[in-house]
Amino acid sequence: MTGEKGNKLARVIPEESLNDKLASEPQLDKTSQKRIGDQLRAMYDELMQQPVPDRFKDLLEKLEKSSAEKTK
Amino acid sequence: MTPDPALREALLAAVPSLRAFAISLSGQVDRADDLVQDTLLRALSNLHRFEPGTNLNAWLFTILRNLFHSEYRKRRREVEDPEGSYASRLKVQPEQGARLDFEDFRVALAKLPPDQREALLLVGAQGFSYEEAANICGCAVGTIKSRVNRARFRLASLLNVDDVDDLGPDSMTRAALQGIS
Repeated sequence: MTGEKGNKLARVIPEESLNDKLASEPQLDKTSQKRIGDQLRAMYDELMQQPVPDRFKDLLEKLEKSSAEKTK
Repeated sequence: MTPDPALREALLAAVPSLRAFAISLSGQVDRADDLVQDTLLRALSNLHRFEPGTNLNAWLFTILRNLFHSEYRKRRREVEDPEGSYASRLKVQPEQGARLDFEDFRVALAKLPPDQREALLLVGAQGFSYEEAANICGCAVGTIKSRVNRARFRLASLLNVDDVDDLGPDSMTRAALQGIS
């Protein structure tokens, strides 16, 4: 089974490179891992692209102002 | 503590990541924004504890993560809020076709135990190293690896990543049968 591209089936494969307590746990094959990873990042990127709500800019500005006044 | 302009910029720059993490973790935008706001306030009042030169993002994520868990525990005591309750809430939101995949993914993500979800998000989405994620969660590196592994495995089965229609022997049989009929 050489990394044939068409084979997308998730299999439980032993992976000797994994250390710690992973040795005894089932492992996803690389293709399935990549798919999960890609979807995860796509979802996360979409959230990252959202504009920062004004409340956070306002909050930090307010804090800056109030501390500036205190030091006057 | 005074947020100087440079620090203010750094905090603002961290907000998109903090929000993405908080939304993915809690499953709710409103609650996530409250979490991010509390995180910023907590960070500002504890700035003296931040070691300059270390990773500001990792420090902020640690604060947010701890706030999320203390709130989660509190809520659990107050009302019985069984896990997966927000998985069902998520399903209610109608989504247009383009975002259907993400919606499926979010629902699946919400079904994971919180410790697995956060480990996967920190490492797989936010790109922290296993060591950084272990520091953020206050556990051993091996524990993080194990949680990420289990999270991936569970997601794969929830999302039927292994159910590939165009290649599986079953679908070939189905196709053949359909061809006959």
